[in-house]
Amino acid sequence: MTALRQRTRTRYGDRPGIAYLFLSPWMAGALLLTVGPMLASLYLSFTNYDLFTTPRWIGLANYRRLLLDDPRFLTAVWVTVKYVALSTPLKLVAALAVAMLLNRASRAQGFYRSAFYAPSLLGASVAVALVWRVIFDTNGIVDQSLSTLGIHTGGWVASPRYALLVIVALAVWQFGAPMVIFLAGLKQIPAELYDAAAVDGAGWWRTFRSVTLPMLSPVIFFNLVLETIHAFQAFTGAFVVSGGRGGPTDSTLFYTLYLYQKGFTEYRMGYASAMAWLLVIAIAAITALLFRTARMWVFYAGEDGR
Amino acid sequence: MRRNRRPGVSARVLALVALGCMLGATAACKSDAAEPGGNVTIRFDWWGNPDRAEVTEKAVSLFEQKNPTIKVDTSYAEFNAYFQKLVTQVAGGGAPDVFQMDYRYVREYADRNQLAPLDNGPAKVDTSNITPQLLSGGTVNGKLFGIPPTQNTQVFSYDFAQWQSSGATAPSEGWTWANMQAATQKISDSTGGKVRGVGDFGGIEDWFEVWLRQQGKAIYTPEGKLGYTAADVEKWWQMTDGWRRSGASTPAELTTKMDGSQANDPVAQKLASSGFGYDSGFTAKSWEILGREFKLSGFPSDSGKLGQYVKPAMMFSIAQSSTKKEAAAKLINFLINDPEAGKILGMSRGLPANAKVREQVGSTLTGPPQVAFQYEQTIQPKLEQAPPPPPKGAGTVKSTFQRIYDDVIFARLTIPQAAAKFIGEAQQAISS
Repeated sequence: MTALRQRTRTRYGDRPGIAYLFLSPWMAGALLLTVGPMLASLYLSFTNYDLFTTPRWIGLANYRRLLLDDPRFLTAVWVTVKYVALSTPLKLVAALAVAMLLNRASRAQGFYRSAFYAPSLLGASVAVALVWRVIFDTNGIVDQSLSTLGIHTGGWVASPRYALLVIVALAVWQFGAPMVIFLAGLKQIPAELYDAAAVDGAGWWRTFRSVTLPMLSPVIFFNLVLETIHAFQAFTGAFVVSGGRGGPTDSTLFYTLYLYQKGFTEYRMGYASAMAWLLVIAIAAITALLFRTARMWVFYAGEDGR
Repeated sequence: MRRNRRPGVSARVLALVALGCMLGATAACKSDAAEPGGNVTIRFDWWGNPDRAEVTEKAVSLFEQKNPTIKVDTSYAEFNAYFQKLVTQVAGGGAPDVFQMDYRYVREYADRNQLAPLDNGPAKVDTSNITPQLLSGGTVNGKLFGIPPTQNTQVFSYDFAQWQSSGATAPSEGWTWANMQAATQKISDSTGGKVRGVGDFGGIEDWFEVWLRQQGKAIYTPEGKLGYTAADVEKWWQMTDGWRRSGASTPAELTTKMDGSQANDPVAQKLASSGFGYDSGFTAKSWEILGREFKLSGFPSDSGKLGQYVKPAMMFSIAQSSTKKEAAAKLINFLINDPEAGKILGMSRGLPANAKVREQVGSTLTGPPQVAFQYEQTIQPKLEQAPPPPPKGAGTVKSTFQRIYDDVIFARLTIPQAAAKFIGEAQQAISS
């Protein structure tokens, strides 16, 4: 009896070693590549560190200077907020629209799904950002096409007014990932709801508003959270399109780009670490806020009283 | 019970072994251990264009032929990218053994103990034929940390065919900024603005420095403070912004993209017909790349003082962390002193600093390098000695100067506002 109990116990519960063995590759990665560097950067954010010499503890001085005495920091925050506020909703609308088009059964659906997803695979790459830069540059395709229509914008990349829009467009074009998630969400909506709506004589808009949107709201919420976090961390597009400078006149000085400049061109790693931590805190706060508002508009099927 | 525990124990051991292997493998990857047969591999990084890369590769393979036990891995990038990469490598303890160093950064790296002294110790290089005035540019606190293979100086280059056909008066001895304005305006007017007289140079600190020196001022005081005030910046920007407004220089959308690369240079794009630069920029294929030939001249000046100086175009340095300093020093020695290497490299990095190599190179040159060589020989007597290496943070000041000039040309700030903003940020950059 005891022997039996022991055997069962050892088989299931008494051998954490095995579990850890299987977990070890992931844990080693997480500890060495994520947690370790994060803790190091938290420490560095309280120091003056120029990459070459030993970090010198300066307490909260980096944070104080960032918040009180750095006008470019405020510029970077403002540019990033504009970018997030523009790119995230546009991207989600594009993703949802295309997902709904693709959701109709069609023979070529598989092809279109891949075709629309492709930009997301390519989009984060430097090569595509370079192509984007050429397209929107002075005398690029966009400039020339607009010029033939009599609209002279003189290239968007070098214009303080439009440069940010180029990067927003690049982000919106990469709607593939949320699109695939929307598509999965759309397929989950029970067909009888649509049948019932049709029987009740609901038009397209009414069906969309009263069936599709509420049923899809958990997926919308998921995508919204994910894309917001992504947008705050955007870097490649801004770096490549502005040649790493965030110009013209700081109009594309994304938060992450400014952070990079501080760290890698001015060698102020402590300052850059402090910026990174402020970003982490800001993203956490905004995500928390989104979760709060979620109670008001996200509908989970199967719950009562909502 | 004991039997049952054994797999657990061995699993733990296994995990440890696995972890050890992982760590061991990475350690082995990074190890600097000498290769069998006493061969060493050194890394040599530099900045430059494909033209320079071609001859550098050639010179390096000749070096490998002559030193069969040394293998050289090279890599290059454009200036800004190069320094971003270098600082990351240095901080990570993986600096290249030999690398190109800039006058602007040599103090920064030397002060932080990242460079090996080159005048004694294992990394000693023979500098007996190098102009001593040039070596001072690589000397920090009495020790030599960078050897300039070449020297260069500021230059004004112009598309003389265009200037002639537009009826613009070509630069000549003693020409003034007003002369230059008139000439460049004439070019813009005669082409209907298609080709501007000059690429707007107001945001480039290097040319501002020459202008300052013409008035007896300096970009930095010997103590490493700013050698000018907001009023100087205002005056400079009033002048250059005026040229932009009148159409003599390039419009803001073109100017803002100028980043030192040929791809974004309005002169290379045939949208401007002249510009300031360094004479080391003229390499064998320059006329092909630019699509036409240029003539070179000294800067215009209102004071009769030229303001230009002999500049170490760049330096070669050895990392303090390098474990192969002898091999590294051998490579530098070869690149700056070997006559055959000098022949291959030609003017690709500027006028050779080694007097013997310079003489030899000068007699064999053709095309753009010859034009640059002649220019440098003619202007040499009027050139001053290089100022001491600039203080820490000077690189940031340079990029800030250009960034805030964008605010001027896009009319985001008035010139006095922009100048005040610049001085504030510049002082912050060099003070901490």
